[in-house]
Amino acid sequence: MTAPALHVENLRVTSREGRVLLDVPLLTLDAGQSLALRGASGAGKSTLLHVLSGLVRPSAGRVIWGAQDIAALTEDARARFRRETLGLIFQDCHLFEELSALGNAGLASAFAPKADRAPIRSAAAQWLAALGLGQAGSRAVDSFSGGERQRIAVARALAGSPPVILADEPTAALDRANADALGADLVRLAAEGGRTLITVTHDAGLAARMGRQITIADGKIVEDSDG
Amino acid sequence: MAEFWASLPPALQDVLFALALIAPGLLAGALVLRGLRPLPLVGAMLRRFVWVNTLFVALIAVSVGLGVGLLAQERGLRQGSARAAEKFDLIVAAPGSEVTVMLASVYLQPSDMALVTGAQYAEIAGAEGVAFAAPIAFGDSYQGAPVVGTTVDFVSHLAGPLAEGRVFATAEEAVAGAYAPVDVGGSFTPAHGHGPGAEGGAHEGFAYAVTGRMAPTGSPWDRALLVPVEGVWAVHGLANGHAPDDSRIGPPFVPEMMPGTPAVLVHATELWGNYALKSRFTRNDLMAFFPGTVLAQLHGLMRDVRSAMSLMAVLTQVLVTLSVLIGLMIMVRLIARSLALLRAIGAPLRFVFAVVWAYSAALILSGAALGLALGWVAARGISAVVTARTDVLVTANLGWPEAHLVAGFISLTLFMALLPAWLAVRRPLLTDLRT
Repeated sequence: MTAPALHVENLRVTSREGRVLLDVPLLTLDAGQSLALRGASGAGKSTLLHVLSGLVRPSAGRVIWGAQDIAALTEDARARFRRETLGLIFQDCHLFEELSALGNAGLASAFAPKADRAPIRSAAAQWLAALGLGQAGSRAVDSFSGGERQRIAVARALAGSPPVILADEPTAALDRANADALGADLVRLAAEGGRTLITVTHDAGLAARMGRQITIADGKIVEDSDG
Repeated sequence: MAEFWASLPPALQDVLFALALIAPGLLAGALVLRGLRPLPLVGAMLRRFVWVNTLFVALIAVSVGLGVGLLAQERGLRQGSARAAEKFDLIVAAPGSEVTVMLASVYLQPSDMALVTGAQYAEIAGAEGVAFAAPIAFGDSYQGAPVVGTTVDFVSHLAGPLAEGRVFATAEEAVAGAYAPVDVGGSFTPAHGHGPGAEGGAHEGFAYAVTGRMAPTGSPWDRALLVPVEGVWAVHGLANGHAPDDSRIGPPFVPEMMPGTPAVLVHATELWGNYALKSRFTRNDLMAFFPGTVLAQLHGLMRDVRSAMSLMAVLTQVLVTLSVLIGLMIMVRLIARSLALLRAIGAPLRFVFAVVWAYSAALILSGAALGLALGWVAARGISAVVTARTDVLVTANLGWPEAHLVAGFISLTLFMALLPAWLAVRRPLLTDLRT
């Protein structure tokens, strides 16, 4: 699948109390670009990532991936969009502890259409191999180090061959060496597949690898620069 | 429709009823799981909280086991007591309480009773259609085992061919019940009376030699020592029912020489003959009754108790069902983060719903299956204790009522498990993901 371009306009997310958490009049991203979302804690960068992934429905505005405004979709339709278009990576991996590395990487095969199950599991095995975990697919994930667990999460995000990868501080829980290695892999794998990559990060090293950097403060984009 | 249902064989009715009970739960499951494959994830969740899940399953199992055990035990008791009375076709005794006579003669619970006289016995034994009329004379014991005077006919009728040895042939011989405390070849001196008040030395100098042992009958008679009724009369210093120079045992007895007997078991040549004999000997100076009928009346009187037990079993299941429902809602919170992850990476709500339902179903089905086994073991254990204490063989096996109870429980809880599944997919995704 070709990566869709992103077009966000008049986006507002407000809390129940009415406080504005995010206010983005316009944000566009070409297909296949990589973007780092930076800013202080609580600035709104994770909220933006959640809106872009459809996990949070904005209070107002449009979030258009390709030709599809996901802000207007039902919850099930947004789930389908995530399933078919996005690969999500979380800060703390979110793995099923009782499943093997391969079971986690190929988790989407559990709910994918029958015809897609085998390809997803096969892709999961390939991504694990590409991330240096090819021999450990059958091991339970609780036996892996933090860096290895995050690689499994990356493999899971890539297993469905999504055109877009959204990552929320993927290197935050890792030591420097592991963070650098994972960052490099993530950017390389995204670029090789022509994927769009958006990551929230405090990691200057990871941000520097991205094609573009946006800084958010108090829910607003305050800086937008090429990497 | 009612007529058609009534025309079906009972076994088919039971099967159809069980299927009807479990069908809603299975149908719900089929609809929920159609085309989905949640079991690997359910397995992971079961392993993730193995102790909590085990405890939950154990609680369901104990509750189901209680209900199942209660029903099986009640039925086992009823059947056991009925089986013990099976061989006692018709009993004739002096007027009084049928229940007292039945307890004394069928279940060997000693009681003071008026006697059937020799003349009355002769009339009974000589009546048309009587195959044999066996006096049953009790009052003595040996090491807690009742010593009962009767005839060879009765021994054969009660237990069929002996398991060991031969039947008594003289007034000083005895046949032991299957579990009586004297071996074949041994001898014993009876005590007068029963229990702690029995007089051990009352019949000093008299001993019965045990010549045979009966096969088990599943009744209190298995612990009894059966002797010729002449022996019982003799040890009490009474005439032995025969002329002084007549040493044979068994009927016919000389009415004037017969001291009397508390009860007479009558066995008719034809089954229908029992009714005619009952009618004939139900009169002012005698009473005749079918122990089976008296037992059925007793069971009928206890219908309220049975209903209460059944109601308790059902109420227990209802309470358990509610507990299961609340428990599942709590369990869903334990797996909320995993469910949120599934939703985040694009799992359809229907799949997440199916995971929660299948997880609940796994706990419910495991608990119910374990509960059935537990109920069976408990019922067998309690039956063994009751059998040991009453000598009435109680065999509590699982039957259709238990199957219906469990089928209903499973179906209801599987159906109710839809609620926590529905609540699970309505939980705030992002909040659960951050938990």
